[in-house]
Amino acid sequence: MSDQEDLVVKKENKSIDNIDENDEESNDKDFKDRGKISSLAALGPFIASKENSRNTIYLSDVPDVCKDKPCMLGVDEAGRGPVLGPMVYGISYCPLESKKPLEDLGCADSKQLTEEKRDIIFNDINTKDYATSCIGWAVEIISPSTISTSMYRRSKCSLNEVSMDSAMGLIQQAIDAGVNIAEVYVDTVGPPEKYQEKLLKRFPSFKITVAKKADSTYPIVSAASICAKVTRDHALKVWKFPEGLVIKDNAFGSGYPGDPVTKRFLAEHIDLVFGFPRLVRFSWSTAENALADKAYDMEFDEPDSEKAKFAGTKLTKFFKGTTKSGEVIREECRFFKQRHLGNVMDF
Amino acid sequence: MSITLDFNGKNIAKGKELALHFLPAKINGDGEANVDHYFNNYTREATEFGSGILTNALRGYPLMGEKLKVPEGYRGLVLQETEKPISYSSDRQLRLTGVFQDFTFWNYDKVPSNGDPYRQALFQADVAQALAQPITEDDLEAEIARNKENANDSP
Repeated sequence: MSDQEDLVVKKENKSIDNIDENDEESNDKDFKDRGKISSLAALGPFIASKENSRNTIYLSDVPDVCKDKPCMLGVDEAGRGPVLGPMVYGISYCPLESKKPLEDLGCADSKQLTEEKRDIIFNDINTKDYATSCIGWAVEIISPSTISTSMYRRSKCSLNEVSMDSAMGLIQQAIDAGVNIAEVYVDTVGPPEKYQEKLLKRFPSFKITVAKKADSTYPIVSAASICAKVTRDHALKVWKFPEGLVIKDNAFGSGYPGDPVTKRFLAEHIDLVFGFPRLVRFSWSTAENALADKAYDMEFDEPDSEKAKFAGTKLTKFFKGTTKSGEVIREECRFFKQRHLGNVMDF
Repeated sequence: MSITLDFNGKNIAKGKELALHFLPAKINGDGEANVDHYFNNYTREATEFGSGILTNALRGYPLMGEKLKVPEGYRGLVLQETEKPISYSSDRQLRLTGVFQDFTFWNYDKVPSNGDPYRQALFQADVAQALAQPITEDDLEAEIARNKENANDSP
């Protein structure tokens, strides 16, 4: 049985076409009926059915045992660095006592897992009885469009803030769904102390641990990491360009700025006016630089300057009324000035 | 120098209706743009900010906008100069490329309001209207009578 499943996994990995084939199989019937992801094969169609310029949240069913027994919950992300595609936040949870199923799944050190192995574990989490009976998970797909617009807001919102909001949002969703959370483990790339403080403020009753490389230390974080990573990989595979671009097998590389395939994709898909398709995170310096070189220059209304205006009238103002030849300079009427109107002689 | 508007005023109604966007950015380029695929299909309604409020983004910058009508009594025209004038003093000719009754106004990350430069500028239309309105003898007499009455009312 397990061999057969591996085969399905491998087949799906090859290209999107194969996912479409799986579409017709009974595997994702559950998703079609209830909007639920009951196996790896249902993940792609689920993501493809959502608008890829918006964020998408998915929650698995909460196993009954997670509502009664105190649970641990792991948080991790995937796709923070790439210039392409969504960033995905993932959580997974299980009762404190359910260490065995996590080990059986192979959630040890997600960084050392291959893509294939991650797909298999993800599939197991959703199909194997010993896992579905005690492990639940959820992901938020943060669209590249949301990342760009957040970072380019008038009051800038850093990627760290976007990340923390997503993590806290997912934990809240788990609470609302009835998960009895006792301990929370979070993987972070930034300084753990500040993050921990913020989480404790929001969720004071939990034991919260924020650590670097938590995904290799805590199996529950590793499980979250796998859910996030597999979701991100599939989101890229099933990406459909609203811009109408078609790229064979969606081969745009890893999305990391150093990847030559990604570099070529960026270089070849610049629109003079709009820049890039919205798969690209415009706020990444790689994208900014490419546009500065190749697309039309674009000047935005910059955010209102925060520099305090000089208070009161300057004394020198009274000497400014005439030119050297004695001509009187008339200031523009205030009515027109405030309304951004001026005289135009040529156009 | 004279500028000729090279079209018949009667034909304006027959002009091609254009779908236009008023953007909070200056694009230093001239040419065709794939507006439908790269922009229009990302326009979403955001009723949480008010009825008719739209959202979109331009090169990753968040935009908030709304559909606006050309003020009453006005027509929107797009004119194009096919040949650049050779010198400052030479005659110029502008042709009509299309007309519009409404357009989509976009702000950079701000809900459209009366504080927007565009709406501020349009107040001028009301003032111009008031200034240009002819006043008859009768209007004047009526105004004087009204003023007298007011003066009598107040001690």
